[in-house]
Amino acid sequence: MNRRLFIKGSATALPATVALQMLSTRFAYAQDFSGDVDVLNYALTLEYLESEFYRQGNAAGLLSGKDKTYLEAIGADEDAHVAAISQTIEKLGGTPVKAPAVDFGKSFASTTSYLKTAHVFENTGVSAYLGAAGFITNPDILQAAAGIFGVEARHAAIIGELLGLAPEGGVYMGATETAMTKDEVLEAVAPFLAADSGAMAGGAAVTL
Amino acid sequence: MTNNQIFDGQPVIEFDNESDRRNFIKWAGIVGVGSTLVAGGLGKQWASAQGNSDIDILNYALTLEYLEADFYTRGLDAGILSGRDEALVSPIKAHEQAHVSTLSQTITDLGGKPVKKPGFKYPGATFKSKDGFLKTASTFEELGVTAYHGQVTEIKNPDLLAAAASIAGVESRHAAILADLTGGNPFPAPVEKTATMAEVLKAAKPFLK
Repeated sequence: MNRRLFIKGSATALPATVALQMLSTRFAYAQDFSGDVDVLNYALTLEYLESEFYRQGNAAGLLSGKDKTYLEAIGADEDAHVAAISQTIEKLGGTPVKAPAVDFGKSFASTTSYLKTAHVFENTGVSAYLGAAGFITNPDILQAAAGIFGVEARHAAIIGELLGLAPEGGVYMGATETAMTKDEVLEAVAPFLAADSGAMAGGAAVTL
Repeated sequence: MTNNQIFDGQPVIEFDNESDRRNFIKWAGIVGVGSTLVAGGLGKQWASAQGNSDIDILNYALTLEYLEADFYTRGLDAGILSGRDEALVSPIKAHEQAHVSTLSQTITDLGGKPVKKPGFKYPGATFKSKDGFLKTASTFEELGVTAYHGQVTEIKNPDLLAAAASIAGVESRHAAILADLTGGNPFPAPVEKTATMAEVLKAAKPFLK
């Protein structure tokens, strides 16, 4: 059931968005984060998840040609995001969360299942960054988070294209990206977090 | 009119004069492939304070969106795309048109006055071939991405950031797809790059009447 939810949550067709709806985005999620370090640790958890996902997936020997080239580049981007966000948290005097324990189930059973799961991860990542960005107060960190968000959108589009999905609703998700709340994102990724995951199970530096 | 070559020696874009060509190439270099950046964007102010109001910034974005919407309308009308290329580029036109509407409405909502649609001109060969059109499109999209990201720390009203970011993410998708279609690199850096308003307008100037 979780997995279906995960896919359903991020594959929803996005309606054309009017300006005023977008303007309300920030306030809608006002309860989600307590500060920049809190947002960054949330982002770090997601980046850890993605980084490990591509590490395992690319090691599974499923891909060749362009699929392989692109997925390796994407994995390298996620590794870079983990490193950059961890360093930033430390620079701010915070403690980076540990990498969560993960379980990707049958994601690597085939090229298609790998790419399909990657597609959902990337689109969830895009929506997660958009939902969290409004809580960042330091402009330099906002700049970096926005820059990472854009790259996740590139990943999402290319994976949609590798899968040969419909341009609208597969490669692109409408004329504007859609934000997800922290709860929505955590519900979406919950199936991939192992039960003994310290980072998500309630302890650790971030309250999720 | 000279036929200058800019993309890997392939004759793609024809400029009216050498100065226009140089401006475009200079910008293309800013977002060029192969830059390595890991934590470079963190803890460092990329864009210097540019001193524009939020309405100025939104009108700047609106000008670029007008350019993109016009560009894709002409390119698709030229009938040089087919198959998957056409299927992937058609929604981009719709997105740019939606961005024009959203930005205009937002400017009006904030009590500002949206700029009028500028007149545009394109080098003669732009819509003559699929390669010319798509490579110019790729450059436009990368320009749009760096333009939005160059304003992140400039926008004063944080609520506007959500609106701008939701558009910028879509421009990143476009940029990646057009890079893929033209044999470029969809992932030139782990973090999107930025360009100032002055840099972007200089690059866009050859296309403004």
